[in-house]
Amino acid sequence: MNIAWKEIKKNKVRFLILGSIVFLVSLLTFIISGLANGLSQDNAALIKDLPKGQFYMNKDAEETYNLSKIDSDIQKEILNKQKDAVAFSIQMGFLNDKDDKQQSVAFVASTDSKLFKNVKDGEIILDSSLKNKGIKVGDTLTNNQFSGEFIVKGFVDQKKYSHAPVAYINMKNYQEIYRVMEMQLIFTPGGDSSKEFTGLQSFSNKDFLNTIPSYNAEQMSLNMIVWFLVVISGMLFAIFFYMMNVQKVGLYGILKAIGIKTSRLFKMMWTQMLFITIIALIMSITLSQFFNMVAPEGMPFHLTFETTAQLSIVFLIIGFIGATLSGMQIKKIEPLQAIQQGEA
Amino acid sequence: MTIFTLDKVRKTFTNGEIEEEILKGINLSLKEGEVTALVGASGSGKSTLLTIAAGLQPASNGQVIFDGNNMTAMSSEEVRKIRASKFGFVFQFAHLVPFLTVEEQLMLMLDVSESRLSKQARKAEVNKILLLVEMDHKKNAYPSSLSGGEKQRVAIARAIIHEPKVLFADEPTASLDSKRSKDVMSLIQNITKTLNITTLMVTHDEEMLSYVDHVIKMSDGIVLQSGD
Ligand SMILES: Nc1ncnc2c1ncn2[C@@H]1O[C@H](COP(=O)(O)OP(=O)(O)O)[C@@H](O)[C@H]1O
Ligand SMILES: [Mg+2]
Repeated sequence: MNIAWKEIKKNKVRFLILGSIVFLVSLLTFIISGLANGLSQDNAALIKDLPKGQFYMNKDAEETYNLSKIDSDIQKEILNKQKDAVAFSIQMGFLNDKDDKQQSVAFVASTDSKLFKNVKDGEIILDSSLKNKGIKVGDTLTNNQFSGEFIVKGFVDQKKYSHAPVAYINMKNYQEIYRVMEMQLIFTPGGDSSKEFTGLQSFSNKDFLNTIPSYNAEQMSLNMIVWFLVVISGMLFAIFFYMMNVQKVGLYGILKAIGIKTSRLFKMMWTQMLFITIIALIMSITLSQFFNMVAPEGMPFHLTFETTAQLSIVFLIIGFIGATLSGMQIKKIEPLQAIQQGEA
Repeated sequence: MTIFTLDKVRKTFTNGEIEEEILKGINLSLKEGEVTALVGASGSGKSTLLTIAAGLQPASNGQVIFDGNNMTAMSSEEVRKIRASKFGFVFQFAHLVPFLTVEEQLMLMLDVSESRLSKQARKAEVNKILLLVEMDHKKNAYPSSLSGGEKQRVAIARAIIHEPKVLFADEPTASLDSKRSKDVMSLIQNITKTLNITTLMVTHDEEMLSYVDHVIKMSDGIVLQSGD
């Protein structure tokens, strides 16, 4: 007989309250982690979309890629050695449309590579978010440091950097606008960190992301909130089952006296914890995925299924630990005490 | 036939510095199909004796022999198994599970005793016992809707549903009025005879002694007299 289920059925309100709290906390966790992921996409999709590899910047730049200048001889040497390596630069800047309205963008220029959009002199490819600003294929855009005009060749989806849409331009145009000949960075896909080049410092994808100012701070604070919520939900379980168990000390004593196994009492608690958590998670996953679909375009919200599954498993483990910790008191209950304590 | 024997059972409690001997060498034996009542002043050690016999606490000294086996030498898991399958318990209060119906209380006990009956046979058994305690009409009721006497009858049903060999009852009528007490006592007497079990009960109430086969009078940790 399933006593766990019978108790839930008889005490619906009590379990409903716990379930609702777990639902709300897990929903909040999913939303915040969706926001963290969305913001991180918004901040660095350009870099995050690259395959695993090695980034190189000048040692003298002291981990600030903006200050990095890669010597053209070394660049040639690396690019010759590894065919899929690419040298590139990123600079924040502005574009003016035909009404002279300014759009903030991240200019990206690179050597020939499949990993970046390669555009001809005077052409530009933009992140699709600029479509909403009224920019169309064939429009001409200008920049006050640039003598010519850019013709919009097309759009790409989801290419953001530092919360600004990416604008791919030709290397020659980049060199004119920013008055530098050298590229800032070299990326070698699949390259291993053991490969050293004189004067260059190498970074893994993750290390490089962390050199981007604001990225680290943003992600750290959001992830901290997520883990706080996870810990809080674990404590909720511990407190809830602790209070339930305190109320049931007498009952457990009697059940032990008539010969019930302690393990069965634990199983009862675990079943209840699983039941509540799974239902609450199904609801919060559904709702957060729904939110993922309907979130306004401008809102940086991106909740992957993988993240949801990972967090759900963490919730289940934490709930299990919380319930078990509070259940330790069951082990200590003496049947005799309960009998002498009177009506349960 | 003797099924239960206590041999020179002693129990000492230590309260801080003070050691107090509550049971001072108890010998007694219980026979199948008989109700034995433990009587005596409050504090004379009746409950302590009953719980030691029932395997709910260990004796400090002496032996408890049940069905030829020395329970004092068993592991706590072995004792639990005996409690679950061979003993039944009724206490002053019914101590029913608040979230189970009357029927489910009994089904749980069959579960705990690891009954080998099929699901259908279990249901039939529950019906039979509920008829015996005259609670069949409240099969689907929860304890909160039962009176004290009704709860106690369900508790008795739970104590015997798994056909135990020994029924332990510690002041089962203490929380009931005189009429209900007599009903419960005649029920215990009746069950002992019809199911041929051995009953050891503690009572305060002289009136209840007309329902028992043996009376053991205790005083200050020793058996004063044992009679029919
Ligand atoms: N766990 C215990 N620790 C210390 N003293 C106890 C304990 N259990 C019972 N006693 C003492 O043993 C004596 C007998 O108790 P009990 O067997 O409950 O008496 P009765 O049931 O005859 O009223 C009492 O003085 C009681 O205080
Ligand atoms: Mg007593």
